[in-house]
Amino acid sequence: MSAAVLHERPPLPLLLRWPGLVLAAVLGVAWRMSEGSLAALLAPEARAAAADFARGFWPPAHSPEFLRFLVRPLVETVAIALAGMTLALVLAAPLAWLATAPGVARAEGDAPGPLRRGAWLAARTVLNLMRSVPELVWALVFVRALGLGPAAGVAAIGIGYAGVVGKVFAEIWESSPCAPARALAAAGAPPRRAFALAVLPGSAPLLASYALYRLDCALRASAVLGLVGAGGMGVQLEFSLKMFAYDEVATLVLALFAVVAAVDLLSAWARRRLAESRGLFPAGPGALRWRAAILGTWLALAAGAAAYLELPLGELFSGATLRSAAGFFGSMFPPDLSPGFLRALVPAAAETLAVSILGSAIASVLGLGLALAAVHPGTRGLAGAPGDSRLRSGARLALAAGARGAMNLLRTLPELLWALLVIFAVGLGPFAGALALGIHNAGVLGRLYAEALEEVPPGPVAALRGAGARPLAATLLAALPQAWPQLVAYTLYRWEVAVRASAVLGVVGAGGIGALLHVSLNLFQHHRTATLVAAIVVLVTAVDLFSGWLRARILAGPASRAAPRAACAPGLANAT
Amino acid sequence: MHRLAAVALAAVLLVPPAARALDALRVSAIPDESPTELQRKFEPLGKYLEKNIGLPVKFVPVTDYAATVEGLAAGKLDMVWYGGFTFVQARRRTGNAIPIVQRAEDARFHSKFIVPASSKAQSLKDLKGASFAFGSVSSTSGHLMPRYFLLQAGIDPDKDFAKVAYSGAHDVTAKWVEAGKVDAGALNESIWQRLVDEKKIDTSKVRVLWTTPEYQDYNWTVRGDLDPKLVEKLRAAFLALDPAKPEDKAILDLQRASRFIPTSPEAYKNIEQAARSAGLIKD
Repeated sequence: MSAAVLHERPPLPLLLRWPGLVLAAVLGVAWRMSEGSLAALLAPEARAAAADFARGFWPPAHSPEFLRFLVRPLVETVAIALAGMTLALVLAAPLAWLATAPGVARAEGDAPGPLRRGAWLAARTVLNLMRSVPELVWALVFVRALGLGPAAGVAAIGIGYAGVVGKVFAEIWESSPCAPARALAAAGAPPRRAFALAVLPGSAPLLASYALYRLDCALRASAVLGLVGAGGMGVQLEFSLKMFAYDEVATLVLALFAVVAAVDLLSAWARRRLAESRGLFPAGPGALRWRAAILGTWLALAAGAAAYLELPLGELFSGATLRSAAGFFGSMFPPDLSPGFLRALVPAAAETLAVSILGSAIASVLGLGLALAAVHPGTRGLAGAPGDSRLRSGARLALAAGARGAMNLLRTLPELLWALLVIFAVGLGPFAGALALGIHNAGVLGRLYAEALEEVPPGPVAALRGAGARPLAATLLAALPQAWPQLVAYTLYRWEVAVRASAVLGVVGAGGIGALLHVSLNLFQHHRTATLVAAIVVLVTAVDLFSGWLRARILAGPASRAAPRAACAPGLANAT
Repeated sequence: MHRLAAVALAAVLLVPPAARALDALRVSAIPDESPTELQRKFEPLGKYLEKNIGLPVKFVPVTDYAATVEGLAAGKLDMVWYGGFTFVQARRRTGNAIPIVQRAEDARFHSKFIVPASSKAQSLKDLKGASFAFGSVSSTSGHLMPRYFLLQAGIDPDKDFAKVAYSGAHDVTAKWVEAGKVDAGALNESIWQRLVDEKKIDTSKVRVLWTTPEYQDYNWTVRGDLDPKLVEKLRAAFLALDPAKPEDKAILDLQRASRFIPTSPEAYKNIEQAARSAGLIKD
């Protein structure tokens, strides 16, 4: 039976048919435009820089002054993430409700009039705009509009993440079963009540679980916002990196790693508890208590974060701030559309696109290697054969653990910080950006790939193993082909994220449109800033649409089991 | 309901911000050096000012040049250590920011162009086709004036350099040239001197290619609407720092100043002119 599946859809020859050839051509162009160079990668300077880094990394800086100094930026980073995520939820919930497809409202017994349809369109547009502008750009803008410090960071995460959270919430509601709402509406419940009683309770655990998951991403984002003056530990990391103080970098990265891991564990635990209490209605008072406890903890932590950051909530909504923000946004219009500037903009935008493509390609190759090494040895017959020596299975376990650790480390450091590092190995320019994207996303993709490989139906793998194939061969020949469409879809999702990151890499000297943005903001050329932000939105939206179209084509095929996951997958893939 | 909201919004927007009694002087500096270095430099000066003006002095670390300008304009900062170009930007942005003092050295400031010791370049002209590092985009001595003098020498950085990078800070530029990450760079002479004196840079690996003619640079600037009495106290406190007194000398040394002298907006007209001809400000 496994043979039949393989014959129906032979995955590798696909690379030799036209999609493969187009892909190869695109990658070739991206390599050229990103100034890719194997020579730069293998040059003695690159080796020296890597050796310096490895040597300097140990021992990490641990002088009491440095550790004391570290506490505040670290706590600030966590607090910004938490407060920002809370703001994102507050903004996203109503927008998501408005953006939910009118079909859901019909199920609730509402006949959406033109006004409701207009609101739907407007909410979708607003969410897309919020999502298309990278957080770092929001931060750059808010530092100007709201002033310095953590408030700008909170606003940047709040607005940037509201876009994606709102979109996912709307999708969750759209994919909720409509029958209960329909039943309530038929029994005479008004539409809003039908929504509150029939749609919301069933989806609540999914919403909460997504919000918790997103908190991880917010934490990593918050660690780089300091680069532009929006608080947190990013600025210290940047300076330590630029000054070659690798022992300090080591301490900072380890600290960030520990915090991310702790939040990861906590949120995974909370998500598990929520999943257990899942159902149309909470199973009982016990489950309700859990929900209340998790919600209460979140609110208490968010309030604590706001207090710690001394968020001037009153001042934030004061006349002076609103005036200064309005003045800033006003000064951006009209956008600079002079031919000279547009001539500089087009190659920069093309470079950003090329960097994102090459970066995603590097990430998918590295990620696949890591995933193959990391596939859990105990999973579904992928493990060592019964006849394997203890030494061999031990080595296999160690390899898997090592690969997982490596993926987590790659993921922890955001693209921008990787770029700062890579610049010293291969020099300034877009190639450093592509490598940085590749390294960070290899960690993210590796994890997603490994999960996809572990979840394939075990039959074919077991059959090959039974016939005496080695574990790697069984994975390559039986698991990989089954997971292939899923892997391609994840890679495309990741490309959508990569293009957002690639648009800001120029801020640290890694080429593309970000370099122009950095200059225009520093020289107060707000008309140009407006054009550049608009260009980023257009680029990101184009990539989203194209990648969405490709994904739909790829997943529409035989991998129908992937379809139910499609709705929540953007979240998974949007991990920064 | 909507009308109510609109009225409330209009009221909020139209009421001028209440004049706030200062409970502390919020001071910042452009981040042309690492944040730890800036903090270390400021501490004794901050204590000295606190004693002289009878107000607590709070240092607000800022990591973005342009943000210090916006901070002063929005009244979130009271006094800022600006470079010549950021002062010009602040003055244009606020219309009334007042420069109160500068270091004696700032009236005759220079930038250094540096190259790796092994570089074949003998003059600015030889840098055509090189990769080049400026400091921050907003820096006077790390970007504006070097760009201006390059243009004077017939080199357009945007066309004639293979690659232009902004390192973000002077000490970083020096490190980049030392490590051979760029073919050349330009930085502030006083920071270059400190790096050499403190042996933070290996002079067997980096050499100075060219020193610019002198120009006006850094100053301490206050908000235009700060209480004039307070401004006078601040100016007097800076001018009273006496290099003959050991405790004052320690403060001045950290600022790399021989002493402070008064300054005025007019002193920076030339910087504004240079910024205009280098295309960094447009009207």
